[in-house]
Amino acid sequence: MAVKHFAKTSNKRKQPFEDDAPPAPSLHVENLEMLSDEENDEDAASDDGHVDEFPEIDTRSDSDEEEDEDDSDDEEEEGENEAEDGSESDNSSLHVFPKAKTIVSDITGQPKRVYPEIEPDYDSDSSTEDAPNRVGNVPMHWYDDLPHVGYNIDGKKVLRPARGDELDKFLQTVEDPSSWTSAFDKTSQMDKPLTTEELDIIQRLYAGEVPDASYDPYEPMTEWFTGKGKEEIMPLSAAPEPKRRWVPSKWEKQKVMKIVRAIRQGRIIGSKPKTTSKFPVYSIWSEPSSSHPPPLPAPKPRLPTNSESYNPPEEYLPTEEERKEWEAQDVEDRERDYLPQKYSALRLVPAYDRFIKERFSRQLDLYLAPRIQRVKLNIDPSTLIPKLPSPSSLKPFPNYKSLTFTQPKGRARCISVSPDGAWVISGDEGGRVSLWEVNVGREVKSWDFGSKIGALEWCPRADVSYFVVTIEEAIHFLIPPNVPSSVFSLTEALLAPASLPPAPTTPSPVKWVSPPSSARSIDTPILTATLPPSSGLPTQVTWHRRGDYLATVSTGGTQGGVWIHQITRRHSQAPFKKVKGAVQMVLFHPLKPHFFVATQQYVRLYNLSEQKLLKTLTPGIKWISSMDVHPSGDHLIVGGYDRKLCWFDLELSDKPYKIMRYHTRAIRSLHFHPSYPLFASSSDDGAIQIFHARVYNDLMTDPLIVPLKILRGHEIRDGLGVLQVKWCSRQPWLVSGGADGTIAVCQNHSFDLWVNNSSDAYAILIHGEMIIFDPDIRGCTRKRSRSQKKTIMPSSPVQKQHGCIRETPGFNVNRKEGIAGTRSEPASLSVSSVAGSLKIVDVPVRSGLRVIHGKYNAGNFDVPITQRAGTPVDPPLN
Amino acid sequence: MASSSTAGSISLPVVLTTQTPYPLPSQKFMIPATWRRYQLSQLVNKALSLPKIVPFDFLVRGEILRSSLGEWCAENGAGEEETLEIEYIESVMPPEKMSDFPHEDWVSAVSCKVPGQFFTASYDGTIRSFDYSKKPTSSTPAHAAAITSISLVPSTTTSPDTFILASASHDLTAHITEVTLSGTEKSTSKTLATLHLHTAPLSSIASNATGTHLLTSSWDTLIGYWDTSIPATDEVPEPALTDRDRKKRRRVEENGKAAGKRKAPLQVLKSHTARVSKVVFGSDDTAISCGFDSTVRVWDVENGLCTHTVTAAEKPFLDLITIGDDPASANSVLASSTDRTVTHYDMRVSSSSALPSAASASFLHSATPSCLASGPAGSHQFVSGAYDGVVRVWDVRSTKGAVASFRAWDGTKKVLSVDWDGGVVGVGGEGGFEVWKVGVEESR
Repeated sequence: MAVKHFAKTSNKRKQPFEDDAPPAPSLHVENLEMLSDEENDEDAASDDGHVDEFPEIDTRSDSDEEEDEDDSDDEEEEGENEAEDGSESDNSSLHVFPKAKTIVSDITGQPKRVYPEIEPDYDSDSSTEDAPNRVGNVPMHWYDDLPHVGYNIDGKKVLRPARGDELDKFLQTVEDPSSWTSAFDKTSQMDKPLTTEELDIIQRLYAGEVPDASYDPYEPMTEWFTGKGKEEIMPLSAAPEPKRRWVPSKWEKQKVMKIVRAIRQGRIIGSKPKTTSKFPVYSIWSEPSSSHPPPLPAPKPRLPTNSESYNPPEEYLPTEEERKEWEAQDVEDRERDYLPQKYSALRLVPAYDRFIKERFSRQLDLYLAPRIQRVKLNIDPSTLIPKLPSPSSLKPFPNYKSLTFTQPKGRARCISVSPDGAWVISGDEGGRVSLWEVNVGREVKSWDFGSKIGALEWCPRADVSYFVVTIEEAIHFLIPPNVPSSVFSLTEALLAPASLPPAPTTPSPVKWVSPPSSARSIDTPILTATLPPSSGLPTQVTWHRRGDYLATVSTGGTQGGVWIHQITRRHSQAPFKKVKGAVQMVLFHPLKPHFFVATQQYVRLYNLSEQKLLKTLTPGIKWISSMDVHPSGDHLIVGGYDRKLCWFDLELSDKPYKIMRYHTRAIRSLHFHPSYPLFASSSDDGAIQIFHARVYNDLMTDPLIVPLKILRGHEIRDGLGVLQVKWCSRQPWLVSGGADGTIAVCQNHSFDLWVNNSSDAYAILIHGEMIIFDPDIRGCTRKRSRSQKKTIMPSSPVQKQHGCIRETPGFNVNRKEGIAGTRSEPASLSVSSVAGSLKIVDVPVRSGLRVIHGKYNAGNFDVPITQRAGTPVDPPLN
Repeated sequence: MASSSTAGSISLPVVLTTQTPYPLPSQKFMIPATWRRYQLSQLVNKALSLPKIVPFDFLVRGEILRSSLGEWCAENGAGEEETLEIEYIESVMPPEKMSDFPHEDWVSAVSCKVPGQFFTASYDGTIRSFDYSKKPTSSTPAHAAAITSISLVPSTTTSPDTFILASASHDLTAHITEVTLSGTEKSTSKTLATLHLHTAPLSSIASNATGTHLLTSSWDTLIGYWDTSIPATDEVPEPALTDRDRKKRRRVEENGKAAGKRKAPLQVLKSHTARVSKVVFGSDDTAISCGFDSTVRVWDVENGLCTHTVTAAEKPFLDLITIGDDPASANSVLASSTDRTVTHYDMRVSSSSALPSAASASFLHSATPSCLASGPAGSHQFVSGAYDGVVRVWDVRSTKGAVASFRAWDGTKKVLSVDWDGGVVGVGGEGGFEVWKVGVEESR
């Protein structure tokens, strides 16, 4: 009702506007009447029903096929269109724009829309509608004190309209029915009645509807391309329809028949009807147990101990220092999280003070709250040091300098120890060769050659006794004095035989000369081999183990000279036509016919019998100074001027097994002990370093290398320290020649000895092996130890006494010691320790000695490795 | 506890024992803790009321008392109530140098056994003798090579000025030489015999007390047992001579007039496996030897059998002496080795016993002890000469340190031989020969 009334009033109001704007055809009365939907719905539908024609009908009718259908469709459509049109006209009733008028066309006879003509003058556009005041959008209070309120389009002042007082306003509201639909216009400074559209907008806003009357939220869907009668009849392509469109598919039939057959044969069983319920019901708790192992039961809480008692015994109570220490510790570091406290009665025990804290941390646990755990690195520095046996358990090794021998004429370049270990020859740069006793240091004989001694070496043969000295491209063979006549004659027969061996077929540039027997004396060489001229001083001489072949290396000459000399044939040959790099050193393999050649950076291993290169070892040393091969032949040590010492396992790799750099200056000389597991290195820093080097027979165990001792005492002269070191063959004694002209003999110190107080058993350590002597079992047992002493202590209580205070000899295995008089008892045994292995000396009566080297192995002696019947044990030097 | 603070008032119970001819009645003395050797020595002298003051040294548990008694107790943890057993011995006076005899070459062996004469053997192969007035009385070029050892062979048959010396040398032989000293004229010497067995340099030679037999040891592991009778003819044939040998021989013959008869050994003792460094006679027909194979062996020389072996651990022995109340009984043996120790072995245990003999003591040196000499008969003392040039006087009962020591020559010249007899110690070595007065101050 209110709407109706509103519409009426608006109609009334609109009148003056229409007058003002005469060409606004939209504001027809009939249009205005259409405002009320309810009333004019039918009318509008009926009115516009025929008007609205969809052009598609025409197009449809153009298609040839199915006309009947089309017709029926048309009719239906018309109905729909009518409804649409009704609503459309409904909406357009409020249009401000000129409304189209529907007239019946004269030409076609069909109704058509005709829009009023638009006059293109100023008033035609609503935006240019006259506003008498053209002041613009400025604050109107600027004109408050002025008689006008602005200017019109002609520049004339627009005078302020007269405004009545409050009483006039009130009267106006009473008199003028349109006053309540008017609003104050700022521009014209007077009340202006609202237009119908404005009122309508207000009304819609008031009703909570869309303000725009023309917007229909419930617009019916316009079916432009779908729907009945709008199917695409025209094919998209002109190609004839393929056959498959109508012929049933054979392939599908086959598939289906296969399934059918399977169903008939029962191979496919139709699935059961699914449960109708949306959520399948299942039991959470009756699941079968998983295959995982059951979770571990929680550990049982530790039972409280005495110290946790409320009234612990006094000894559990912490002292003041302990208490302070405990409090000073971090919570994480505390050994126990409480301090024992004593209360005389249970009722005096206070409430548990850490209750809240524990609950809180328990909550955190349940909540899986991450708690930061401090990681503390507690590394004992001593654990980082590699575990090596202590040097004292690896005795014997030389550890003190027992005597020195002085070469009067400068640097002691070269030394050599006789095969029996009793004599030393030493040569210096002044050309003097001295023969002296290892143990006394007294020179027995000297030879003067007048120029620098290059090298000297004893012949390793036991049945002859001589040594070679190299001076100025010559190799001299000398016999020491005081040799037994048998040895002397043999040596003489070897070096200066009555009938010379036949000259080799290929002439050699090396000349072998021995003086006639009348001119021979002990002071002159018995044989001299002269190398070709300008080949340089031979700086190294090395013997083959059998003592027949001799290799020399000459350096500094014009042609690099490795020569191999054969003594018995008096023949020399150069095995290498051309060697890459300057040869530093050569060595014979102790067991095989192999030959090591060390050039500046590489060590090459040749097979002499097959005459081919076997291996090239790369030590990674800039300049090799020295090398030596282990008596087993499987290991090689190489020292360099750049202080490095490389250990090669020849069966392992061409690269060093171990590289050591212990010296502070260049390494000058290396030597393996022939029988003890020792080697020594000497350096320009004036120090000699002794290493324990145990090599195992099984290929799985790495060689054990332990630094044992640094021996000092040689002075450094002109940047040169210890020039050569050599071991005595039978003892752990070391002979070293220094640049200061002194030669030192270093010997070993006494053993640590453990003596059992309760029995007479005692034990010593030799090279890491403990030998326990027990007179009760009349034998000895040995235990190998590579680490601590205490692990090899015998099970019975053993007291260590310092410095050999008590020593119980008990090596006697067999009590029939000492050739017990009976020839029926063929032998008696005595066991002594030599070089860490047991040596069984078999003593047949009056028939010389037989030596069997063997190892004591789990109660049985593994014998014999070498047997030399009928010859003396120690072939004497002389 | 308070022995150091209130030592003045504390007395310690002490029992004094001795093996010297000055025994005290065995009773317990209460001796103030502050007392030192001097007071104790005075006490003994006064208690015995000796006409001449005899200085004594005091051994407490094998250690010579060098501080006060209280300090010793504090150091060694002996309680105050404990009765200390103190043995006193006659003091060894500080050694005094008597004279020196410079030699051109190293002296390898000395002998002071003859009263009034010193015999020295040198590396130049000459045996020299001197009397107490430093006058050389004889010079015998016995060997062509270095002599390593000499031994005076006691003999009754010859005149008092004639001595028979046995010498061992690097030239693989030992010689028996007769040296006749005549006061004014030039002394004469004659090589009686040469001993041929060894094929390596000889290391030592020793004769028994009666002078009937000799023992030689060599680097070739053998020990020879010889008698001193001079055979009429060569027992060992001359080796087939080469030209060179013949020449040499001629030269030797020219030098040493007539070579002695070539003797062969009575017995060869074989058991050592390395160089034998020393052999001495023990009691009745036994020999004791030591060697680089770390063994000390006792031999039955008649049968040539090794009756007992003492094996040490890696101790190459250099020298050996017997010591004890009766040197001939050879109960205890001292052997020096290259590991700078002198070790005391008790050889009494027979080989049939299951118990091995024991090393009872070890005397540590600061350098290699190359030579040993036992003291006067019946004493417990011996001297050792070392490569650092120091001669040390030891008492067997005092293992902790030397009783006295002195440095022969200046610098560190090696001592190669010592001999101690008649209150003097002859020291031979790198610097020549020196005679020092060492010994118990005796009121003889």
